[in-house]
Amino acid sequence: MAISVKVMRRPEAGRTSYMRATLKGMSLTFRHMVRPTKVTLEYPEEQPDLHPRWRGTHRMEVHADGRPKCVACGLCPTVCPANCIRLVGGEDDQGNRYPIVYEIDEFRCIFCGMCQEVCPVEAIHVGQHFENAEYTRDRFVYDLDRLMEQDHPVTLLWDPSDPRSE
Amino acid sequence: MTDTVTLTIDGHEVTVPKGTSLLHAAETLGTEVPHYCYHPGLTAPAQCRICLVEVEGAPKLQPSCVTMAQDGQVVHTDSPAAKRMRQGVLEFYLVNHPLDCPICDMSGECMLQDYVFDEGREKGRSREPKRVFGRDDFGGDVLYYGDRCVMCTRCVRFMDEVARDSRLTVVERGSRAVIDTFFDRGLEGASFAGNVVDICPVGALVSKDFLHKARAWDLDHTPSVCPNCSQGCNIELHTRDNLVQRLKPRENQEVNGHWMCDYGRANYEWMNRPGRLEEPAAGRGAKRRRVDWKSALEHLFVQLRAGVGAEVKVVGSAAASNEALAALAAVAGEAGEVSSRVFRSPRAADEVPLPGFPLLVRRHDLAPNVDGAGLLGFERTGDDEAKGGLEDVAGHDGVLFVLGDELADRNEDFGAAAGLYVYLGAFDSPAARNADYVLPVTTFAEEEGSFVNAQGRVQRYRQGLQSPGSARPAWLVLGALAAALGGHGTPATAADVFAGLVAAHAAFAGLTWDALGDRGAALRTEAVHG
Repeated sequence: MAISVKVMRRPEAGRTSYMRATLKGMSLTFRHMVRPTKVTLEYPEEQPDLHPRWRGTHRMEVHADGRPKCVACGLCPTVCPANCIRLVGGEDDQGNRYPIVYEIDEFRCIFCGMCQEVCPVEAIHVGQHFENAEYTRDRFVYDLDRLMEQDHPVTLLWDPSDPRSE
Repeated sequence: MTDTVTLTIDGHEVTVPKGTSLLHAAETLGTEVPHYCYHPGLTAPAQCRICLVEVEGAPKLQPSCVTMAQDGQVVHTDSPAAKRMRQGVLEFYLVNHPLDCPICDMSGECMLQDYVFDEGREKGRSREPKRVFGRDDFGGDVLYYGDRCVMCTRCVRFMDEVARDSRLTVVERGSRAVIDTFFDRGLEGASFAGNVVDICPVGALVSKDFLHKARAWDLDHTPSVCPNCSQGCNIELHTRDNLVQRLKPRENQEVNGHWMCDYGRANYEWMNRPGRLEEPAAGRGAKRRRVDWKSALEHLFVQLRAGVGAEVKVVGSAAASNEALAALAAVAGEAGEVSSRVFRSPRAADEVPLPGFPLLVRRHDLAPNVDGAGLLGFERTGDDEAKGGLEDVAGHDGVLFVLGDELADRNEDFGAAAGLYVYLGAFDSPAARNADYVLPVTTFAEEEGSFVNAQGRVQRYRQGLQSPGSARPAWLVLGALAAALGGHGTPATAADVFAGLVAAHAAFAGLTWDALGDRGAALRTEAVHG
């Protein structure tokens, strides 16, 4: 197919008026002055509504007695595409397998949520959370205590009433 | 009468020796028939029922581990009947097997996990509660999780048939059956009990030492040779985070079958020992300073060439590779008149044989290359604890080489009179204080090399760990030095050094590095040391 060129014919510069277009634009401006549509938030006084599937920094769920739910199965460091989870397993005094070291480097994390998806005991979650500012870089390596302290709502990777999206 | 039979398995014709089981015959075609109770090193009781295959003409499915191949047989391992049966058997196994893969040490190398993943049902139909036994300490390094057991009885048969030390048995019947020890005797003190952990197809028997340490899929496997006695069992180093996490036997019917001893298995922490020598250094005592490899070797070369003709004494090690020892001997030979080449190594009072596999014996010599050192002209000195015997070396006034011996029983006066004292080792030592050169070398796990075992078999081991700092394999350092002194090409690989070794030492004649492969090759002459 041959390339076709459409030639636009415009009036010459001295022989046209932009008055109509200007008035059209100004009418929109006046309309917003009278009936404004607001898209910005007065953050931080106002907080944004995060989507239920928003994936932010992690949170470790804990048992009622304060132990982490994690059983150190090693699936999250295995599945993690960014290789940001460091895990050393061990056994506590009741004979339960638990993580001696559990660290997530939130700088490396790409927030894909696969750690939450793969977790067999629903321990590690990504969260509906975005305020992560710190004064030093090393604070972004979250250790187990830090992950257990987090209290923001966790992400819903799927609708619990319809887990297979059927 | 021919001694082979030809049969058809899954539509492929295969010819196997008479007396081959269907399971083996299928294996030659690359078809793995699932199995639990069958293990190539043990008898087959055909009780797990998962290896059943369809044999045309037989009234029902046949256990492939004990059914011998016959001429003209037509076997289907993957027919709907065989598949349906396997699915049924797996479902029965899962009636009581806990789904605790996340906390099970076997996860990732578990045969039940694999088979269920391949062919099992998507969901269980059992509504009954699972039976719960908890776990039992069997003594030694072995822990038993009764819930996970599939009653294949491999462990019981191993202890009965191979270790010939019946310490395990099945108690109770039906779903209440568990493996148990006799009263409180347990596996404590048994010499080969660690193998029951290897042969357990599920996570019922696990190692206490390895418990929760690493996941199976995180481990790198390196073919190696056990360095803890002169038997030279073929092993795999399982490493993670640049640390050896455990040792596992590697099959070699000429040396260790499928097994290894608990002594060898437990002795791996020394490979992870920190506090290594990392940089070459030169100068005695307070004048010691760091140098780089290039200047260290150049200065050493100049000094050795200038001092040619001096009397040379060499202390080697039975833990060093053939390549390192041969290169050391070559350097010493170029440097002057070698008056003694000695090594010290620990010896155990008794040997520990494995009755069911007589080739495998935990030997007297607790160093891997005693026989190689002997063949390369080194003589044993010192006592059975690798102490003493260096009195005449300590005060030697010529050239002195020490490789791989930490000289733990010697004090700072060692080598004080030596004209030139070169210390090659992985760790610093007070006795290295007078050394003119301290050269950091790699340990067994960090280098390639070969050992000669007590049977006179040359076996290669491979590098499983990264060496710290600028430590280099001893054969590389000494090989370069020997090449410079002798005026021939510098070796770049262990294979190059080995080729030079074969040319120089008649005992190794006819061997090539590639021919050694992963299984080793026997020396033509008998080993010098018995």
